[in-house]
This record gives sequence, C-alpha cells and structure tokens, in this order.
Amino acid sequence: MNIKCRITDLLALTGRKMSIKKLEDALFMLKVEVEGIDEGIMELEINPDRPDMLSAEGVARALRAFLNIETGLKKYPVRKSKNEVIVSKGLKKIREFIACGIVKDVKTSDEIIKGYMHLQEALTTTHGRNRKKASIGLYVYDDITFPVHYTVQTPEKIRFAPLGYDEVMNGPEILETHEKGQMFGSIISNFRKWPLLTDDTGNILSLPPIINSNTLGQVDISTRNIFVEVTGTHLPTVKQALNIMITSIAERGGSIESVTIKYPDGTIHETPDLAPIEMILDTDMTSRYIGIEFADNDVIECLSRMGYSARVAKKNTLRVRVPAYRTDIMHPVDLIEDVAIGYGYNNLEPTLPTTMTAGKVLPTTRIKNKIRDIMIGMGYQEILSFVMSSPEMLNDKMLRNEPLITTGNPKSRDFSVLRNSILPILLDFVARNQHADLPIRIFEVGDIVTPDESMETRSSQQSSVCGLITDIQVNLTELMTNLGFLLRNMGLDSRFKFAASDDVSFIDGRSADILIEGEKLGYFGEVSPEVLTNFNIIYPVVAFELRIPKVFN
Amino acid sequence: MSEQLTTGEREVLEYLVRKDGLVSAGEIAEALGQKEERIISILNSLAQRDLIRLTINEFESYSLTDEGLSYAENDLPEFRLFDAVQKLGGSASMDSAVSEAGLSKQEKGIAMNWAKRKGLLQIEKGAGPPNLKVVGDRHETNLRDLLQHLKSNNAVPKNMNALLKQAIERKLVKITKTKVFHAEIVKESSSKIQAMLSKASEGIANLTSDMLMSGTWKGKTFRPFNVELEPAFANYGKKHPYAEFIDWLKEILVGLGFNEWFGPFVETEFWNNDALFVPQDHPARDVQDQFRVVSPYDHGEIPDERYFKELKATHENGGKTGSTGWKAPFSREVTTRLVLRSHTTPVSMRYLWEYPEPPQKMFIIDRNFRSETLSATHAQEFNQCEGIISDHNLTLRDLMGYISEICKRVGLKKMKWKPGQFPFTEPSIEGYAKHEVLGWIEVAPGGLFRPEVTYPLGIKNTVLAWGLGAGRMYMASLDIKDIRQLFTRDLNWLRRTYFVR
Repeated sequence: MNIKCRITDLLALTGRKMSIKKLEDALFMLKVEVEGIDEGIMELEINPDRPDMLSAEGVARALRAFLNIETGLKKYPVRKSKNEVIVSKGLKKIREFIACGIVKDVKTSDEIIKGYMHLQEALTTTHGRNRKKASIGLYVYDDITFPVHYTVQTPEKIRFAPLGYDEVMNGPEILETHEKGQMFGSIISNFRKWPLLTDDTGNILSLPPIINSNTLGQVDISTRNIFVEVTGTHLPTVKQALNIMITSIAERGGSIESVTIKYPDGTIHETPDLAPIEMILDTDMTSRYIGIEFADNDVIECLSRMGYSARVAKKNTLRVRVPAYRTDIMHPVDLIEDVAIGYGYNNLEPTLPTTMTAGKVLPTTRIKNKIRDIMIGMGYQEILSFVMSSPEMLNDKMLRNEPLITTGNPKSRDFSVLRNSILPILLDFVARNQHADLPIRIFEVGDIVTPDESMETRSSQQSSVCGLITDIQVNLTELMTNLGFLLRNMGLDSRFKFAASDDVSFIDGRSADILIEGEKLGYFGEVSPEVLTNFNIIYPVVAFELRIPKVFN
Repeated sequence: MSEQLTTGEREVLEYLVRKDGLVSAGEIAEALGQKEERIISILNSLAQRDLIRLTINEFESYSLTDEGLSYAENDLPEFRLFDAVQKLGGSASMDSAVSEAGLSKQEKGIAMNWAKRKGLLQIEKGAGPPNLKVVGDRHETNLRDLLQHLKSNNAVPKNMNALLKQAIERKLVKITKTKVFHAEIVKESSSKIQAMLSKASEGIANLTSDMLMSGTWKGKTFRPFNVELEPAFANYGKKHPYAEFIDWLKEILVGLGFNEWFGPFVETEFWNNDALFVPQDHPARDVQDQFRVVSPYDHGEIPDERYFKELKATHENGGKTGSTGWKAPFSREVTTRLVLRSHTTPVSMRYLWEYPEPPQKMFIIDRNFRSETLSATHAQEFNQCEGIISDHNLTLRDLMGYISEICKRVGLKKMKWKPGQFPFTEPSIEGYAKHEVLGWIEVAPGGLFRPEVTYPLGIKNTVLAWGLGAGRMYMASLDIKDIRQLFTRDLNWLRRTYFVR
C-alpha cells in the first residue's frame, strides 16, 4: 500500500536534517520504496507486513531507531481513564470484539487530521481486510458521556445523521444512500440486527463498520482529546489495529489513557494493551540464518536499531521485547530478518555454498525439444500462445462439444477456460495472418488440460504438438509425410497407425486418428470448410495434433 | 569491392568503352537486344562501383492524340467545312456542306464551333434549315503543319510554340514525361575497367558430374556470379524468440546443478496458498486476483492427510513450528478449492513434499495465471522462473550468492540488495541488478522458507527460494514494450525476429 508524507513533516518527526538522497537510502534499507516525489510530498510503498508504518508517524518512528536517533523499545505510558465500554449480548456472530483508547492533548492541524484519516483508511483496508476483520472510528472525547455501549439494533430502528449529512436516516437508508454504506454494507446487511455504538445518553457514535455519526464522529482542528474505537471479528487484529492507531497519534505528543471493556460473559479487557510481547531468540540460530558470526551483544544492537529491546537471558539466548504495534512478529525468524535489516543488507557479502547436485531438465522437456527440432527441420515456424482461451474458439468454431476447465471470475470471456487442444489456437493464429506470405507452416508444442475426476486437482495436463500448413493449395500427402518423419524420429516407427475417422472438424473422408500402440493420441486431416469459415480463413488448411505419448514421460 | 563482372555487366561495359562518350540506356538496350529496365539495373550497379557515371534527365516529349493524328492526315474539321462551303458557292445548307466535307457527327460539332470562333463561316437562321455562309478567308494553316511535324517525329520549331499550346488545349497533342538514363565511362576508372574486361569473359556456368569425372574442368575458368547481392528474405522454420530465451535460461540453471520440475496449472488452494502459509483470509486469494475454477469441478482433494493436519495446526496456532500461527480457524473447504495457480511456488512445495531430504536444487519456468484484463502492461498469463536450494546450514548470504551467480550468467553483473516481503519467506530479500537498458531493476526476489512452510513437511534445514524477473529481461532484449507481444499473433514479426543471447 502506498502512503504520502510531506518531507518536511517526516524529517521533523524523525528529528534529523538530511538530504533527500540520504532519506531515500535509509528508507530503502528499511524495506520502504520511494515511489515518487512531487512538490515536497513523498509517496512511499509500505509492505503489507508493516501496517505500523502506514503513516508519517510510523515511518519516522522506524527511521529514528534505524538512524540511532532513538533506539530500543519505544515506551508509551498508559493511564487508566476508568471509562467503560459495555458490550451487549447478541454481537458474537455479528462483530464480536471491540477495543478502545483515548489520546488526550493531541496536536491537530488540517494536515495532521487528514493524516489520521489516511492511516485509519489504510489500516482498515489492509490489516482490517476492507473493514471486515477490523474497522476504526475516531471521535471527540469530550462530547461523549461514558459508559459507551456496544450493542445491536434492528436496522430500521437505527436512526442518525451519518458523517457528512445533516438529515437523519435509518439503517437501511444509510446502506443504500451513503457512499460508505454502499461500499461496506455487505459486511452487516445479511444480519437481522446490526452493531451500534452509543454513548450513555443514547447518542449514536457510529454504525460499525460503516460510518460515524455526524454529531459525535467529527474530529476537527478544535479537537484536543480523541476517543478511538476498533470493532471487528478477530480479537488479535482488533487489538493490533488499536495499538497502531493510538501509538501513531501519540507520536506527536499527547497522553494515552485506557478504557475498560466489559463483555456480557463477564470477561474484562483493559485496552489499549501496549505492553511489549516477549520472545526468545537464539543467537546461534540468528548467525546460522544470516551467515554472520554474531555475539549476543551484536544481535542486541541490531535489534535496538529496529525498535526492540533485548537482554541476554543466558549465553546464546536473548529475551526480546517486541513493541505492541508490531503485528508481523510470529516466529523468531521474523526477528532474524530485523536483525539483518538492523545490520544492513548492504553490509552483507554474498557467499556461494558448495551444495552438490546434478542438474537436468525434465524428460518431458527433452522430448518436447526433440519434437521442436524436428518440426523446425521440416520448415515449420514455432508459435507460443496463451493457455487460456474461450469455449467459442475451442468448441463452437471447431464444431466440437468437449468439457472444458472453466473459471468463475474471468475478466474476459476470451480467456475464461483452459485449452484442451492447440489446433483451434493455431487456426485462430492463421486467421489473424491472412496477409502473410504463403505458405504458412506453423507449429506449437505446449500443454493442454482436460477435466479428470480421478486426479487430485480434477484435471489432467498433457503436452501436445500441433502442426499446420496453409497455402493456395494444400495436400494431405505432404502433411502425412511430415507426420511420418516426426513419429519415426520419436522412435515410434512400427508403433503408430493411421485409422480413418469421421471427425467433424475435418472434411469427410480426409481425416484420421493417430494411434500409438492402439491408443488414440492424435488426429490429422484437411480442416472442414465450415470450420475455416467460422474462423474467417480463406485458404485451405491441413493439420495434425498429437498428445506426446506417455512412453516418454 | 568486387573485381568481377557478371556477363550482363561485361557486355554493357564493353559497349560503353567502344562508344567512348555519353550513351543512352535505350541505345544500349537496342544494341544488346535487352530490355531497357535490365540495362538500367546493370548501369546502377556499375555506377555504385564508380565504373561509370550515370546521368538521369527528365524531359517532356509531345505526341499526337488519336484526334490529332486524324487532323494531321485529313486537315482540321473547321477548314474542311470552310472548303466545302466555298466549293458549294460560298453559301450552302448545313447538311449539304457537312456531307460535302465528309465530316462525322462528332467532327461536325467541332467544325461548327471552331469555324465560328475563327470567323470563317456564319450561320444564317431562317424559316428553313440553317444555312452556312463564308465570311472570312482561310489565312491560317500552321496548326496542321505542327501536327504533321509531330507525326513525322520532327522536332517542333520554336516559332510554333504558341500553336503547340493551342494543340495541347484542343487535346490534339499530349505531353509525356520521360526519364532518360545516359551513361559514360568514368575516366579515372578506365584502366581498372580494362583490367576487369581483360579477364576471360568466357567460363563454365555449371560444373557437372561429367566434367568432374572426365576432368574437362581442368584449366578452365568459371563464370563469376554476383555474390554481393543482398539475399531475399525467406520464411524457413525456426524457434520462437521467447522459447529460445527460455531454453537459454534452462541451460544456465541446469549448468548450476538445478533440477527442472513441473506442476499442474489447476491447483488446490492447499498448494497454491496454504502450504505457503498465506492466511486463509489474505487479499491475494480474492477473486480479483486468483482465478477460481468452477466447472466441471470446483474442489480437489488433499493428497496427504498427515501433511494437512500439520499445516492446519500451523495456520491455527503455529503447531510444532514455534510460530503463533494466524489465530484463526483453518477451513478444509477453502483449502480444497480449485484455482489456476497464481505463481510457480506451489511447484516448489510439491517438489519438497516428494524430495524432503537435502541436498536439493530445483527450478521451474512455466505459466501462471491471474485474473487480469489483457492490456499492454497486464496479462492473465505470464511465465515465472524460480527455484529452491535445500541443504544444511544455508544462509541469507548464500541466497545472495546464488542470486548473484544466476544474474551474472544472464549478463547482470552489478547487484544491490534490499529486504523484501513475501508471506512464505523470512528473512526475505529483493535483488536489484544494473541492466544495460533498464537501469536498476528489481530482478530477483527471494528468501528463506519460513519454518511454518518447511516444518509441516518435516524439513528442518534451511531452504532458499529465489525468483527471476525473466520476462522483463527478455522484453528489454527485444525492445518489447507491450506484454501482449510475448505471445504475439503477428507471423511477420515472428518471421523477422530472433533472440541472440
């Protein structure tokens, strides 16, 4: 996901003056790519594993540690506000979890508020899976009468003016008319009751995950104290989103206060929980993964440049404190990558191990290459085509009716199924080259796929070769001579047989099956004028197609 | 520069030497009994070698039209009519005058028109048929003289220029523009020409089996052949340039000890996503991104229940891998869903499933599918080139070493590195290479497979995984800007394009 930062703001938050080149280099080493700079605004590409860097505040926090301005674990003191959020029954299947927090004495400006909105949007899009898993709301703390109630309500009975509107609407109206309702309505629309957030006087905060109310949910430059709420279906995701949102706001100053969440089953959560998570890291393992002989202290130093604090538990074993805003640390290997980043990827020298293996191409590749060589020797030009095609081309135009592997979400019907034959693809190629010099002799070696219930993925994939000649006049003798040369050089001299067929794609009396040891593996013939007309081809065509025999596989 | 002459060139040169002066192509053609076009082509070839000087003049020539030819023979119609009226006594009816003059119906109109304009005759209209009366006299006869001049191929005298203009206006004379080629020997080259001509002009045209067996070729010369002609284009069979490029990559990777492997286009999400520790709610699995297979079958099967159990636990809570896992339930319905594989990494997983014992090196270059609209920059299909190395104690630096080595062999020598991000590798790396055309390009992503990926297969050693942005390199090498060109439908382009490593 891309974010935009004003360079002066980013440098001020980082707390060091530096050239844009230096800034870019540091970001590059932190996995952040500068996509462009325009009028003092930098566009940055943030990798999906670092949602904590989806804001200028988050990027600056990472830069300060990496550039040794403020290393180690960043501390965010949290005071209990004694405010409560009471969760009603009935939310379990709809949107079970909520986490909230307060930031007081925040600095605001139009640009800063815009930044918070962008972070909220970016977080809910990526980390919150388009609001399904988690969505975030920001409110003017001083306008709210606590306790706040997280409850459910019949859609028609939900009545408030959504953000940006003066008139009061009911739930279904909001889903229908409001832009956000149209975008995210499907998350709740199938439920009989919808989630609702109200304060103790009954004033509505928001209809999660759709839209805030116009009265309580409008944070502006006069706002000093912000109430942050995250609802969702996955508790760890909800808590992480809150941690990232709260700590990012607090990066500009302000103090964090926690809120008590009371669930109907008696469970009580105090959020945000910004206590670092502890993880054990083995120094030897770190050295083995990266390929550098690290001492315990080297690893600790690298980690502190990535915003962690660590201490030696016993020799070779480190106790690492992971900041609460990091969502991507699932395993010690995630710490190891950060050690490598802290060390600097540009300080790593490539090494070449002596892993001894004998390389070879697949037997199929060898026989495919052999067939290609023979076809080229006979004067055929090689063609490569898409594997995806359309039922019109594979079946209708060919007068065939074969089952096709069909996708459910193609962008175009022209590429909606997998080809089960190459001949139609080459006929289409000929149709597009009616003005090229004749004769046209072309071939393709490639894979075709057919449905097969007996297989693990319900499909059978095979290599096939298709050769085709078109000219003012064509004759089957030439094609059969070519085919004979190919089959004999594939070592099938006494093993193949041609048996007359009544394939409707070909002229009656001018087509045959290719039998390899009695098994039908292909066909050839002079293409029927009806098929040629379907493809808009104005010259006669002879062609063969042969599935590459299993004896070679 | 060739010192040899073809028979045709020899004949033309000899004629020019003999004439010693400016000679027209037409004259040469007539003298040698050849077509003028062929002589002009030979003259051009000689002129390119500075043996002759060729001057080309374009001029206008005049010739009679059919009408003009008829008037040259029979006089102009207005005079014929005038003469007839005079002969009939200076006044005559229209019909009798026309009949006396022997004018056709078409000529009659022309005669009346011009006789009036020149003031020769007057039409008297009364109650009866129109009557013609002589009013002027026949003072001008020169136009016919001009026509007769042209008829007998004489040059037009200067004093007839005004008449010529009139004749052209009356469409009696037409203008033809002609290019005339004149050639003469270049004086400075005459000694060279003499030398060339002095070589025996006769020689054997075709060496035959008889000559070889009898030995009659001995002591004879062979007639030279124009061996400097640019050969014509031909359409023989040859490889597709993209296929040649892929062949080359395979050769390099086999040389580095990699084993080629394959896997099906139709995959279960088990292999395409879950085996790679992609969370089941990851946006990459969206129908916007991956093709779902819906017909005739939409779900496949799990080939290894033990592996499935390990993977399920790994996703849900980390299982035996030491990971936290995704802390969300793992769905069998999702994992057996059929998709078109969106990358080649499931093939690496299938390989490791079959060959878990190190050391291993595997590669694949093959087709993948994403639900994209075909455009200059996106296609629903693309090739990927990737591989894995599995061995004890492999490191991130070793991965950088392999990537550098592969890049070096495809001609990319200068590398720089940045941490990367892929759901299935950690640490991850992004290799940038300096490309002579494209500059720094993101060319080689890679990483160490996460324990969540390898442990469920029982693999505890490190496995390095790398990819190569081969399509981009190929496009740059052929200056292809449009991704659709990779699988072009243009036969002429294929006939004329080649890949040279």
